[in-house]
Amino acid sequence: MISVEGLTKRFGSKLAIDDLSFEVQPGRVTGFLGPNGSGKSTTMRCMVDLDRPQAGTVRFSGRCYQDIVDPVTSIGALLDASYVHPGRSARHQLEWLAISNHLDRTRVSEVLELVGLTEVAHRRVKTYSLGMKQRLGLAATMLGDPEVIILDEPANGLDPEGIRWMRDMLKYLASQGRAVLVSSHQLSEIALMAEDLVVIGRGRLIAQEPARDFIARHTTTRVRVRSPQISELVESLRGQGADVSPEEKPLTTDGVLVVGLNMATVGELAHQRGVILHELSEVTDSLEDAFLAVTKDDQEYRSGPSS
Amino acid sequence: MRAIIASEWLKARTVRSHWVLLAIAVAFPLIISTLVGIFNPDPQFMSYRELGSMTTGTGVVSLLLLTSLWVINLTSEFTHGTIRVTYAAVPARWKVIVSKAVVGTAVTLVVMTVLFWSTFGVGALLLDRRGAPIIVDGWLGHTMGVWIALVALAVIVSWFGLSLGVIIKNSPVAIVVVLLWPLIIENLIALALTLSGIETARKWMPYQAAIQTVDNNPGLDDTLGRPWAHLYFAAFVLVILAVGVVVDRRRDA
Repeated sequence: MISVEGLTKRFGSKLAIDDLSFEVQPGRVTGFLGPNGSGKSTTMRCMVDLDRPQAGTVRFSGRCYQDIVDPVTSIGALLDASYVHPGRSARHQLEWLAISNHLDRTRVSEVLELVGLTEVAHRRVKTYSLGMKQRLGLAATMLGDPEVIILDEPANGLDPEGIRWMRDMLKYLASQGRAVLVSSHQLSEIALMAEDLVVIGRGRLIAQEPARDFIARHTTTRVRVRSPQISELVESLRGQGADVSPEEKPLTTDGVLVVGLNMATVGELAHQRGVILHELSEVTDSLEDAFLAVTKDDQEYRSGPSS
Repeated sequence: MRAIIASEWLKARTVRSHWVLLAIAVAFPLIISTLVGIFNPDPQFMSYRELGSMTTGTGVVSLLLLTSLWVINLTSEFTHGTIRVTYAAVPARWKVIVSKAVVGTAVTLVVMTVLFWSTFGVGALLLDRRGAPIIVDGWLGHTMGVWIALVALAVIVSWFGLSLGVIIKNSPVAIVVVLLWPLIIENLIALALTLSGIETARKWMPYQAAIQTVDNNPGLDDTLGRPWAHLYFAAFVLVILAVGVVVDRRRDA
């Protein structure tokens, strides 16, 4: 388990992490979310003792990082896939890492096989695509068969097959009892793999809870209804206290979105009124909607209007 | 610690640019020695002392190239971000720095020794055939002294490069500072101190003191002489290295 307590990090006058505390449980994939500049990468660097926080502690099953002997065998961290010497081959990159932590060199061949880089392991890394570097970074992460895995944007540059492979692998690794902390801006990916979420904004903790609860708490479930007799049904729905609004996407004249009644109740009401239904479905907001709703006041960098 | 040294040894020998620098460092004195041995118009005036001085002169170029290699071996880690992977794997950062120093020392010792004796040997062979008085009484003792002084200087300068690399982190800047230290920085300091009334300031410039005693050991009042000049320079460099290790330990990787 990873325990972060009261972590505080300043860069000059800028407060990058502000008294941040959270936990990452073993056997689960935890998504680490936050807008650009919210302090995710800094937090991860502090976790593996690369950045020096002004306050706070990070413990891995009760141990500080610097007290762990051969940390590659306990904690696998991929902070940036570009942290490789371009003139060195992938095999040599993994070999020096393995040697430094008393790992057998045969393990290098195993992880190269695991990430599908065996054929190109002799090539210098500067000939690699970003996706191949990500795979190499994941190989380095898995080198010591660690119980804790920390990944910063691991899906960057991966092709669809690679993204699915990574997602399945991380879920598999978590199912073996490892604690997996993964940050990503690809919220659809996080939604597919993360059971827990840690959400931060401006270096502060915004939420830590199961992903399902986070989405439910920060979004509204609506019922989409389409009917040639929609006006009759709308009147009945409002009579039951529902909030009914015209559907905007796609723009239809026979469709509405209902808030305040569940799908079964809407269906029963339509049946009682003899209203023909062309569609009755539940519309649930995504993790992206929940994330944007929660972090709307914590965006460090805001885009201008797109047109 | 042995594992970290082995790891650093693997790092050092798996980058092509390191081998290119090493090849130039080795080839340069050999080429000069061969050319001098073949084309020197007055071989009868070349003694073991002159040959030793020439070997030292070209050897200093090689030691600067080797030092550049050890600077790059460290600073390229900062440039490419691999220092973060290194320090995540080895949280005791001083062990990484010391391991790099150990690897640099071992390679420098071997390379400079092979380079010195092969350069001297090629020159001696060619000049001896042309009648130069190289292998005469006293040549071995003198040449051994020059060899030890040059190799010791090379090792200390390699530590110096490493120390500046830890502090500066930037390859070009660190290399320029290492190269210009004895030429400009120490001269400016010595000049300022001399102008302020300290007449013997130049004698106490650590890098220059060590260089001056490499190919001769006059033991005059204006030089520290062997081995004191080297020990003085080594002590100075170890202080810089200690500062570098402390700075590196405190800052973000």
